[in-house]
Amino acid sequence: MRLKLLIMLLMCLTTATVYAHHVLGRPAYSLSDDSNTPPSMQVETQIGDFYVTYMAFPAFPQPGQQGRVNLYATHRDSGKPFDGQVTFVIKDDKWFGGHKETLGTQKIDDGVYRQGFLVNTAGDYIIRAQFFSDGEPYTIDFPLKIGQVSGIGPIGIALIIIVSVLIMVSVMQRKRLLRGKIQVAHKDADS
Amino acid sequence: MIMTHPGLPVYWQVLIGVFMLIVSLWALLARTPVKTSHIGWPLERVPLIGLLVRFLNSSPWPLLFAKIVMVTIFITVIIAGLQGTPIPERNLATVLTWNLWWAGLIVAIFFFGSAWCAICPWDAIATWLVRRRLWGRGRLSNSLNLKVPKWLRNVWPALLMFMALTWFELGVGVTLDPYATAVLSLLMVVMATVSLALFEDKAFCHYFCPVGRTVGYYSQLAPVALRPLDPDVCAACTTLECYHGSDNVEPCPTHLVMGTLKENTFCTSCGNCVQSCPDNNVSWHLRQQSVEIKQDARPNWDDAWFMLGLLTLTSFHGITMLDFWYEGISEFGVWIGDSGQLLLSFSLGMLVIMFAPIALYAGLVYWAQRWTGKVIRYRQAFSVLAFASLPLAFSYHIAHNLNHLIRESHDLLALFTNPLGTGTQPLSMMEKHERHLQMIISQDTLFLLQGGLMLFGFWLAIQVVRYRAFALYSETKLWVLPIIVFAILIHGFDLWLMAQPMTMRM
Repeated sequence: MRLKLLIMLLMCLTTATVYAHHVLGRPAYSLSDDSNTPPSMQVETQIGDFYVTYMAFPAFPQPGQQGRVNLYATHRDSGKPFDGQVTFVIKDDKWFGGHKETLGTQKIDDGVYRQGFLVNTAGDYIIRAQFFSDGEPYTIDFPLKIGQVSGIGPIGIALIIIVSVLIMVSVMQRKRLLRGKIQVAHKDADS
Repeated sequence: MIMTHPGLPVYWQVLIGVFMLIVSLWALLARTPVKTSHIGWPLERVPLIGLLVRFLNSSPWPLLFAKIVMVTIFITVIIAGLQGTPIPERNLATVLTWNLWWAGLIVAIFFFGSAWCAICPWDAIATWLVRRRLWGRGRLSNSLNLKVPKWLRNVWPALLMFMALTWFELGVGVTLDPYATAVLSLLMVVMATVSLALFEDKAFCHYFCPVGRTVGYYSQLAPVALRPLDPDVCAACTTLECYHGSDNVEPCPTHLVMGTLKENTFCTSCGNCVQSCPDNNVSWHLRQQSVEIKQDARPNWDDAWFMLGLLTLTSFHGITMLDFWYEGISEFGVWIGDSGQLLLSFSLGMLVIMFAPIALYAGLVYWAQRWTGKVIRYRQAFSVLAFASLPLAFSYHIAHNLNHLIRESHDLLALFTNPLGTGTQPLSMMEKHERHLQMIISQDTLFLLQGGLMLFGFWLAIQVVRYRAFALYSETKLWVLPIIVFAILIHGFDLWLMAQPMTMRM
């Protein structure tokens, strides 16, 4: 049991996580040169010994719509494609908590790992690809937006902060004014 | 496929290079500079423009109208960013914020100085919320009016914010994310409002705002400035409405007294002094662009760091838009064992690129100090000579931004009629090519503007070195050589950047 815990701890410590929207992995929404295929989202990044390319079809899937992700991983030095198994997990894009579900484990197919998905609720999700190479665990996160996500969140937070500060200032100023009035009244009474 | 913009042609590179050498030699051999007058020409007396200036000065309504328009556009940007398409080139939030506003703002300073600050929507919303009035003197009781702590009364916070903004812009990639652009915009409003609710006057504009301070420093090079029409009227004034405000008009948000005002750095062009002056003695002036930076602006340690920061971060912007940046940062990531999003590699790269030229400058100032043999404090020399960095940064910044403005600002009508980008698709390769070919002005005209700016910036920097060195050491001789070497190295590097193909932003 202790050994398992130790291995788990080591795995967690040595796992390199890749987040979305980054220097190399800027999402690019693109159409192919002259095709009428739906737009895809492509993210390129590097992790450990591998360059990884992730593509999501369609780029903006709707709730209940079938989608697919493609993953290519090539070795940084040799350029050879990774040929082990890759496990795909989907989870809510939240800092704390959130639901997590394994989509499947895929073998390489013509140099590509293909994984289908179907999500019924609009929101921001993370597709996590996990694989082992030379005993090292690799975990890469990619963004997935399903449908239209409400933008009220940031506006609500901004409003809450602003209103809270304004109320706090107003209360403090009232207290300050009241204190001033009491002091003046005391002075008048003394004189 | 990555689309790139062509760089400055070879003949422009040679012309600018030769010009730099000739001007540098001239600076070493020329006679001692003579101090020039800082009094400008009132714009009110210029035909046609005078009419406009008088209209703007006549009442607060024109400015209020402009603020309302700006706030409306700003709210549209927020909504588009939060609710619109995530395709950056189809969303008003990203295109308007990064391609038009952020690029155009620097160009606008060249003509209108700090006029942007007067219509800034962040400050307008904050003021309306805290003062609870659209115009005029609000109730001070709505703010705690605390004094800004002494350790914050400088532009270090603004420099850190500017670095953070650059990091978000280029490292995290906010420029390509409408949602993040909207969140960042909201964050600025929250900071402006909280600052106004806590501190006296406009502490956010004065000390914290990275955009405001960038505008402020570059405005030292603007051809227009708010100044007294008759300095004698200000000299005789005892009530100082420009500083204290009047019954209906707020005081100067950054504690400036018009009678002694000689630099634009902290003037937000809000027009309070124009409205409050009982003698109508304040108005816009046309002036020599170099007079403030050559002799009038006061040197400070934190100001010097901000100006040098502007210089290096501006060059850094250019570097990140070159093709090899991505390969370079990837190699660097491998070298230091960074993985994944490479933010550590990016951050380290940014710090190195930012501080290496500053270290070079510090070393060259030290060399100049040793050479003169004069007893002048190092900090003073560092602060005074740093003014030379401002024209270098400004000229390269505008020349670089012209690429974004002229080559990437297309389909604006379509964007404004569909700000959320509803139902739009990403740009096809054909559309990208079309955009690439359809420029607002011809490519040769663009090169002319960019080349002219690079010439102008270097000329001004050398002038600043001569004047400032004379003010510092009471004579100019071969001692200015280290700072001229600095100007040549930095401007030469910026010229090389301009000559490289630049990656299209979106």
